[in-house]
Amino acid sequence: MTVDVRPAGENWYKRAIIYQVHVRTFFDSSGDGVGDFQGLDQKMDYLQELGIDAIWLMPFFPSPLRDDGYDIADYYSVHSSYGTLEDFKKFLASAHKRRIRVIIEMVLNHTSDQHPWFQQSRSSRENARRDWYVWSDTDTGYPKAGINFRDTELSNWAWDPVSKSYYWHRFFSHQPDLNYDNPAVREEMWNVMKFWLELGVDGFRLDAVPYLVEREGTNCENLPETHAIIKELRRKLDEQFPGKMLLAEANQWPADLRPYFADGDEFHMAFHFPLMPRMFMGVKLEDRKPITEILQQTPEIPPSCQWCLFLRNHDELTLEMLTDMERSYMNDSYAQEKTMRLNLGIRRRLAPLLENDRRRIELMNGILLSLPGTPSIYYGDEIGMGDNINLGDRNGVRTPMQWSGGWNAGFSVADPEKLYAPMIQDPVYGYSAVNVVSQKRTQHSLLNWMARILAVRKSTDVFGCGSIEFLYPANHRILAYVRQLGTETILVVNNLSNAAQAVELDLRRYKGNILIEMFGRNIFPRVGDLPYLLTFGPYQFYWFRLRRI
Amino acid sequence: MKKVRTADDSILTDEFLRQLINVGEVDILVGLPTHNNAKTIAPIVATIQAGLLTYFPRDRAAIINADGGSQDGTPELVLNAAIDDLRRRSNVSALRTMHVISTQYASSPTRGDALRSILAAGELLRAKACVIVSPESTQIKTDWLTKLLRPVYAEEVDLVLPTYSRHKFDGILLTNLLYPMTRALYGLRIREPYALDFAFSGPLGSQFLAQNAWQDETARAGSETYFTLNSIAGHARICQSFLGTREHVERRSSDLIPALRQTVGALFSSLGPHMTLWSAATGSQPVPTIGPEREFTLEPLRVNRKRLREMFSTGVAELESVFQTILSTSTLEELRRIARLEEGVFRYPAELWVKTIYEFAVAYHKAVISRDHILQALAPLFRGRALTFLVENRNGPAETVENNIEALCLEFERGKPYLLALWNGRE
Repeated sequence: MTVDVRPAGENWYKRAIIYQVHVRTFFDSSGDGVGDFQGLDQKMDYLQELGIDAIWLMPFFPSPLRDDGYDIADYYSVHSSYGTLEDFKKFLASAHKRRIRVIIEMVLNHTSDQHPWFQQSRSSRENARRDWYVWSDTDTGYPKAGINFRDTELSNWAWDPVSKSYYWHRFFSHQPDLNYDNPAVREEMWNVMKFWLELGVDGFRLDAVPYLVEREGTNCENLPETHAIIKELRRKLDEQFPGKMLLAEANQWPADLRPYFADGDEFHMAFHFPLMPRMFMGVKLEDRKPITEILQQTPEIPPSCQWCLFLRNHDELTLEMLTDMERSYMNDSYAQEKTMRLNLGIRRRLAPLLENDRRRIELMNGILLSLPGTPSIYYGDEIGMGDNINLGDRNGVRTPMQWSGGWNAGFSVADPEKLYAPMIQDPVYGYSAVNVVSQKRTQHSLLNWMARILAVRKSTDVFGCGSIEFLYPANHRILAYVRQLGTETILVVNNLSNAAQAVELDLRRYKGNILIEMFGRNIFPRVGDLPYLLTFGPYQFYWFRLRRI
Repeated sequence: MKKVRTADDSILTDEFLRQLINVGEVDILVGLPTHNNAKTIAPIVATIQAGLLTYFPRDRAAIINADGGSQDGTPELVLNAAIDDLRRRSNVSALRTMHVISTQYASSPTRGDALRSILAAGELLRAKACVIVSPESTQIKTDWLTKLLRPVYAEEVDLVLPTYSRHKFDGILLTNLLYPMTRALYGLRIREPYALDFAFSGPLGSQFLAQNAWQDETARAGSETYFTLNSIAGHARICQSFLGTREHVERRSSDLIPALRQTVGALFSSLGPHMTLWSAATGSQPVPTIGPEREFTLEPLRVNRKRLREMFSTGVAELESVFQTILSTSTLEELRRIARLEEGVFRYPAELWVKTIYEFAVAYHKAVISRDHILQALAPLFRGRALTFLVENRNGPAETVENNIEALCLEFERGKPYLLALWNGRE
């Protein structure tokens, strides 16, 4: 099924605004305490009004749910808690009707240990699917490979008492890695993707892509063989499903990520992981240095490719791409309580991280939406939802969406005890204080502000597709850059400080232009030969359109 | 000299103010007063940066160079001490932007004006802690920053003064006059009352900035000594921190008079305003010290004893009429006597030296003649005392040197009633 959805045209993903949601968390239509596709469908008007262009769905496949669905037991179906395949199809049509694209999660690297493929593989060494996973008689192979979940796993090898051998897993031990050296595995995984593409999904977020292939003597990440597999998938995608998109989840340095774009023939997009913690660091330090430094280190990518930027997502705020000193600073600044930390990250939502400071929340979103890339907004952050650090793992940031101040926050009519996770109920972030209904009724609520800024972002293609040039005013608390696309030029100036600031910008090359503030459309003085003086309130930012009239 | 522009009544140039606006609030301010220090300044700035990155990586810091109109490119060298080079060399990284700015203060090169500019910057930037580093501190190590700043920053000390490992004959003016007299006057055993490298809290800096002494020529020349003495008088919490080696700097004979103005002039000047305080102080107390109070190195040093002896004798003879207005008859008579002694038996005893200094101090206070002439007249006498100190300690180990300094200190303390009697006109 082909639907003409916006943003129209080629490279739609470069202009899109992505909204990340887990179907389980959004709205429960059946009253069983778990969100479902019919519920999500019922809330599509809300997402349309918010102004997003694409939904990124976290895994919704049958799964024992030991890793929130990233442990898939059947790639061709929908988890019964979330509905049926028919429900999914209806939701997809509903989204497309509203010109919203749908990106689904695809966990290529591993399956659940409950997947029939693994059950067959472990059943005997002679089984036809034995070679679909990575087996060994010892647990000493690939010693250079790091352990991702170091809080829970001691080794990347796990002993299987059934087949009396070790299997390889880069994540939890209940998630055995598929063996991509086996052509049958590669073929089957393409069949999986083809199945969903034929239903009409618009793209995949490919989970944990650096780890597909293992080679002795390496850290088993980013190997050429892995790139070859991605290239092959992309070739098939372009040939058979043009206009569809692949998004890489690879928590790597920009220089290591760059090969995943190759010559524009691997991924269309990749998450820019190192930028995200540095945005938080920049605001805490009141210094643009961490942000400008990492973007200086970010290599050019092919014109058809795009970075995917985010403030928060379903995982912990990863600090892996930081130095020890930076990591320690981030922990001390944003995760004073040990329970807030998980692996090498911080398991908190945007609003609590920013101490529910509306000005900082707006500033961070302003930066997210104006830097080069496609922004991804995590569900609930548009209303400033809180988290529950008393829930284990990353479940504290995966609590039900807060629709109203009523029963179960309007999420479900089930008894509260039946909810898949308890509602946030604390006085600051609880659903009686933070919910969609109340924010819709308040003109200056965060929700309405988010809708406005998304509309401003979408009023131009510059943010999604334009170039960036940093200005380096002497005041280091000011992060300023010029975005340009064709004849359109936008100046973005952010005050990272919690105090009023003055800055003088060297805008001589734009002499003669007048500045038009993009939110209020007010005119600012014409640029002349002298440094352009701007003053800011705490955490204030401006987006100016430069016009020569 | 480059022309600088300031608002009518401001000590800060417009350009400096603009730079300060860009720096914004800081936690730590490093002040670097300079004047034609191109030979030494670049590695000092690099070490300061490395010290800040190593010991204060999370803190907002700025290095402020107050330059007295250098003609040798000193400010450019300060500004060009690029942090990227430092990062490559020493593998340190910075969380934050580190500002290095330079300003030329609006008058002649006076350390007081440099200090005033730095204090003003510290106040405007709301620095929690400031450290002044001398452009002559070529021995500076990265840990000087933490040794000086940490007590202010973490332990709420107001003023941190240095102690060093010096050659036993380095700083004779310090060991034979400034230290013992400050100690006797104010009751605190501060080894370096004239500190070139020291740290202080933001509030103490602001307090000193608000003093009216900035128009006083002596105070401006001896601003560091003034700073220490004002801090004592204000009951600031003071500690000392051992920094390690301070290299012996060869001084020319002509350097002595300016040194006397910067140090002894400031010390003598403080007697008037702080009379109530020093007149009540008896004995002396040690000051909390991190590390040793003092270390001496003992390498042989060539000294022209004959010349010192001649300068003393000539001075006593030539300045006799001046001394008659400054010194008591008995002191002058004694000086005449020792001026006649052969070199081999020459000795300027501690008791006489203390008496001389106290009489000079009172004469200075009463301005019996031009105060600058009084300080100049002290020069030949100091050379005589220096010769005695050199001879007494020529072959002595560090312990002997320290014992001799301690004996002199006690002599200053014992002689204090004489100073009070002179001051009150009873002698």
